[in-house]
Amino acid sequence: MEAFYLIKIGEILLKLGNRREFEERLRAQLRDRLSRASIPHRIEMYPGRFFASVPEEKAQETERILSRTPGVNGFARAIKAPKTVDAVLEAAVEVAKGRVASGLTRFKAETRRSDKSFPLGSFELSARIGDAVLEACPGTRVDLHRPEFTINSEIRERAYVFADPESGLRGLPTGSGGTGLLLLSGGIDSPVAGYMMARRGLSLEAVYFHAYPYTSVEAQDKVVSLAKILSEYTGRLTLWTVPFTETQLKIKKGSRQDLTTLMMRAAMMRTAHLLAQRIDANCLITGESLGQVASQTAENLRFAESFTDYPILRPLVGMDKEDTIKIAKTIGTFETSILPYEDCCVLFSPKHPMLRAKLGRERAAYEELGLEGLIMGALEKAERLEL
Amino acid sequence: MTYLDWASTSPPDPAILSEAALFASRLYANPSSRHQAGAEARAALERERARLLTAIGASTGRLVLTGGGTEADSIPILAVLRQALGARRDGSVKRLHIVTSEIEHAAVYEQVLVLKSMGMGLSLVRPRPDGCLDPASIAAAVERDTALVAVMAVNNETGAIQDIAGIAAAIAEAAGVLGRAPPRLHVDAVQALGKVAFDPGSGAGSAAYSAHKIRGMRGVGALWLRQGPAPEPLCVGGGQEGGLRPGTESLQGVRAFAAAAEAARAGFDGRVSRARRLESRLLDGLAAIQGALPLPLGRRAGDGRYSPFLLSAAFPGLSGEVLARSLSDRGVAVSTGSACSSNAKRSGRRVLRAMGLDEDLSLSAIRVSWGDLTEESDIDAFLEAASAAYFELKT
Repeated sequence: MEAFYLIKIGEILLKLGNRREFEERLRAQLRDRLSRASIPHRIEMYPGRFFASVPEEKAQETERILSRTPGVNGFARAIKAPKTVDAVLEAAVEVAKGRVASGLTRFKAETRRSDKSFPLGSFELSARIGDAVLEACPGTRVDLHRPEFTINSEIRERAYVFADPESGLRGLPTGSGGTGLLLLSGGIDSPVAGYMMARRGLSLEAVYFHAYPYTSVEAQDKVVSLAKILSEYTGRLTLWTVPFTETQLKIKKGSRQDLTTLMMRAAMMRTAHLLAQRIDANCLITGESLGQVASQTAENLRFAESFTDYPILRPLVGMDKEDTIKIAKTIGTFETSILPYEDCCVLFSPKHPMLRAKLGRERAAYEELGLEGLIMGALEKAERLEL
Repeated sequence: MTYLDWASTSPPDPAILSEAALFASRLYANPSSRHQAGAEARAALERERARLLTAIGASTGRLVLTGGGTEADSIPILAVLRQALGARRDGSVKRLHIVTSEIEHAAVYEQVLVLKSMGMGLSLVRPRPDGCLDPASIAAAVERDTALVAVMAVNNETGAIQDIAGIAAAIAEAAGVLGRAPPRLHVDAVQALGKVAFDPGSGAGSAAYSAHKIRGMRGVGALWLRQGPAPEPLCVGGGQEGGLRPGTESLQGVRAFAAAAEAARAGFDGRVSRARRLESRLLDGLAAIQGALPLPLGRRAGDGRYSPFLLSAAFPGLSGEVLARSLSDRGVAVSTGSACSSNAKRSGRRVLRAMGLDEDLSLSAIRVSWGDLTEESDIDAFLEAASAAYFELKT
């Protein structure tokens, strides 16, 4: 048997100028994601709606993919029917029986009719559907204000009947905004930042700075797990692991203690900048949030920012930690983020880090460290993992 | 690999394990069965139990076989709960009180915290800076409703040997002043067995032992009990082990445990002086690594306050976890507390912090522990690796 889905596509409708391109991109994304999950599929494209057919046994996996693909506004298992009143009523009863079987009784019917040649108007068709369901499913009743389920029918190129669509991620299809390089740590924030920008249509690559033995292999595995979870939203994701031990050591040994955090961030930003050039990204993404840790001040952000001329997208910059955690829980990264493999360098981070970097002075301190050679070397040794 | 993590577990003695397996496979019947084969298994089990009792150095008392040291600790602790639940005729729960120390092993510490969360009273006694518990501080914590005092014989991180006889006498006196009988004194003797002279008969009411720390097998432990009323078990079942530890007994486990304990006891003096030599070599070598410090600060070789089989050391400026990782890459196995646990990121390590050590120092600590198979060359290998790793990674 085949599972048939009606897919609502969202914001892309607004972008009239690029609509065709955006639709193509979304279709390509869906095809790629379904193919990578070894799900045979057929996707039909109509204005404002996609339709996907997959084997019944792949229904659950397909729904997981549809719920995680940016650009999908919502979706529902649907029945497609010929455009006759009888066929629509029959489909509506079948859909209603499914809902009734899960214990629901109060319902309403809603109809969208874009084919005006259909013999009944929207209101009349809804009323006929209501009658048919009441007759076929004893115990149900119509409730227009607080229905437990809604039978939707759409009369378009064919007739489609479905109930209670699941909401999708909305946003823009992956890749429509180019590629962002995400600075990914094992914490709570950066995966959320990546997710938020992926929803805005960015393809993602991620960079992780691994400072073994200061950071453990478990910490690295954790980052890989986080990247895997993120890749469910981004479709594909390339994770770059940059060995950073030597750079970190040189900073720790050569820099004033209160500056080590700043210098580390600067070195990471510089490395990310070079990597972004190499992979042809068009922006950097971080999980920074103003004031979240003492050193995330505007002055310090300016300092770190001076090491790249890419725009640094910081979707969490004005967010409250609680809200970030909420998103992390929703997207499924929270449980992994809080695994206790925080990098141990945190333990010996300065107790009183510099809070308000002076751009010129601190840049001079950075130059004095002479890290460029180490950074180039680290980048050469970076490992690439395709997820 | 240079194995210096004996306090976590010791390499089992293959001869002892295989002999015990053969022995138990011949006497395979269930010791609780009524047939002849069952009776033979029962007799063998009781012979091994008696042998083990002598081998652990107990002058009196009896042994309940358990599934390890942690279980032997939890039986008397959970008994407090049973006692509290059954104390009143009207069914209400009586708030009983437990005294223990800040430096107990998690088997005791985490379990008493659970009881506290269930409404029991709890006093946690701090050690002195040298890691030893002052009997007077333990006694001062005893209250009218104290049902249990739990104190370890030898600390698993510092090796500090506790004065169990002194503590027993002090709590007896304190109980006398309160006009009550002394509460049960439970002793976690897991790190004492085979390593320091300890007779539970010298004041303990119960004591926990584990086989795998002395080259026996995992999943085998024993609870020693003073003659007299036993704690009332919370977990019950088929009534084995006097009802205290239900479940079919492991003849293989107790046979191997008894043999391992006998081996440890037989050469005790020689083993201890050998361990003291290794301790001395380690401390001398440590002193030669600039910055490294033995813990407790100022610990010297041959100090009778500490087990000669383990030593904690701080490497200021380098996280103990990072050092242990780097040592592992250099072929040396040592331990650390879980410094980087998510909730305790900056709180440091409980035992060392309780001794008053500052946070950074406690986080930079590793534990080195050794045993009968450890050679001087192992200590040297550790010192060389630690010195190199420290020099390279310290910030």
